Amino acid sequence: MALVRLLFIAFVVLSVIYLSLSLYSRARARDRLEAEYDAGDFDIPRDAYVRAGLVEYDSSLRRKLILGVYIVPMSLVCLIIYLVNFA
Amino acid sequence: MRYIGWTILITFWVCLAAFLHYTLPQRDIVRIVSTYEERQELNDWTRIFWSRPDEQSDAQITRDVQFITGVRANGKPTVYRNEDTGWSWPPYFKFDTANLYTEANDAISTKDAPEWYVIKHYGWRNEFVSSFPNAISIWRVDGPDAFKGIYWTNIIVLTTLAALFIAIRVRWRRFRHARIDPKLEEIQDSWEAAGDAVDEKRGRFRRWLATWKAK
Repeated sequence: MALVRLLFIAFVVLSVIYLSLSLYSRARARDRLEAEYDAGDFDIPRDAYVRAGLVEYDSSLRRKLILGVYIVPMSLVCLIIYLVNFA
Repeated sequence: MRYIGWTILITFWVCLAAFLHYTLPQRDIVRIVSTYEERQELNDWTRIFWSRPDEQSDAQITRDVQFITGVRANGKPTVYRNEDTGWSWPPYFKFDTANLYTEANDAISTKDAPEWYVIKHYGWRNEFVSSFPNAISIWRVDGPDAFKGIYWTNIIVLTTLAALFIAIRVRWRRFRHARIDPKLEEIQDSWEAAGDAVDEKRGRFRRWLATWKAK
């Protein structure tokens, strides 16, 4: 039960961090695209340019790296368990 | 007002330091003297100084706890409890209590032929509330003055915490300069303006009163 409780609390806390980080990162990407558009000379409208850029962002490595929010603490826990009990 | 601020600040830092001192690992070099098990009463507030390795121990008021006793090179006794931390706080995830108990029994030595062991542990020894540090692991070293190893955990945790605090502090100051300070100045300016207006009115009233005085 203690394990279930730990997993539940960790999941909630990490999900909050994950959500905030991904929203923040997406907003940054949008800002970057808008600045890019304003600086350069493009044929397509601003909206379409930004939307296309965000679609590209959605499948980028940077977005997937945010999953590290879940992976890093879990690996850390596994490492501590190994070091404390089996090393 | 300044005293209140200082009190809150000092209390916060003292609590944080105590919390870290309790939770982070420490290392002693001792000669292990004996191990024993003792029934412990866990029904008052000193419960916080014991682990809660499994769910049954929540319901139970007493529980058998293993202990490891040692003597330092300077002759001072040290007593450690040997308990699983399980999945709860602090996050040592210790499950090998029985193994550690075996190792400790194997490491017992006499005064005449002492063998020295580093005991990694966390927690406080306090005689008044009967709290004991929890032993995490032991390993043999050459003598009582041997090198205890680099405190990697403490280095990493403290560095991360310091970085976090500096990051928050910098952002807070930036936020205050950008958002709060201008608002405060605005309030102060309008307050002063109001004060000036009142003074001005009062001055006019005084002058008007003065016209009634006999010359």
